Amino acid sequence: MTTDSRLDVLVNKAGFHSDSLLGMMKPETWRGVLDVNLDGVFHGCQSALPLMIQQRYGRIVNISSLSAWLAPAGQTNYAAAKAGVLALTQSLAKEVARLGVTVNAICPGYIETAATRSMEASQRKRLEASIPMRRFGRPEEIAAAVRFLACPDASYITGSALKIDGGIL
Amino acid sequence: MQSTNELKAKLRELLASDLMLQIKPEEIADDLPLFGDGLALDSVDALQLVVTLDKNFGLKIQDAEVAKVVLKNINSIAHAIEQLPPSKLQ
Repeated sequence: MTTDSRLDVLVNKAGFHSDSLLGMMKPETWRGVLDVNLDGVFHGCQSALPLMIQQRYGRIVNISSLSAWLAPAGQTNYAAAKAGVLALTQSLAKEVARLGVTVNAICPGYIETAATRSMEASQRKRLEASIPMRRFGRPEEIAAAVRFLACPDASYITGSALKIDGGIL
Repeated sequence: MQSTNELKAKLRELLASDLMLQIKPEEIADDLPLFGDGLALDSVDALQLVVTLDKNFGLKIQDAEVAKVVLKNINSIAHAIEQLPPSKLQ
């Protein structure tokens, strides 16, 4: 990246989960999930910030998860990482607020993705029944919120966590 | 190659403008401490200053220990910039 470049928006969205009960979780399973979901956000932010500070403008949107709030059994690694993303978001938002950079998080619930499409029908039915809107979210419903937080209109929103979950929480 | 005095004048201007200080550049003495008693900059100012020095002079300050030494005052910043190899000077 040259110093003549601009970087207005960073969306940290890389993530995956590898579920297991903690008592049976291999250390590498813990580490791998933390590496991608939490360390990845750290590295992304650290790489983007110098340019954003230099231009006194930046929008960082971190994709957390409803798991950060629900902390379901079997997701100690994923829930911890995603809760870490929320704390990182709030802390960093304070650090760079007066430098024109906003940092926010989005917490999607159950969204139509390759992973949820491959679910067994019975499991999907059970999950849908637990959602007040009785359906999974669509990727474009998450994208719309990212677009809003990334645009200049969201100039006074920072350190926030937006839950997009069809009413679960 | 600019003289040390020219360099210090530029640093004073950058400090006042990029950090949006409510102070005129000429009021920043060469040995005025930037943090604590003195200019009373805080850690966010330091972050901004590190980016400004990299952008304007190619001076990279990559850890807090180095920052403590280099960001003491105008003199110490000018000294660090003058120590850069010619190929690094911008």
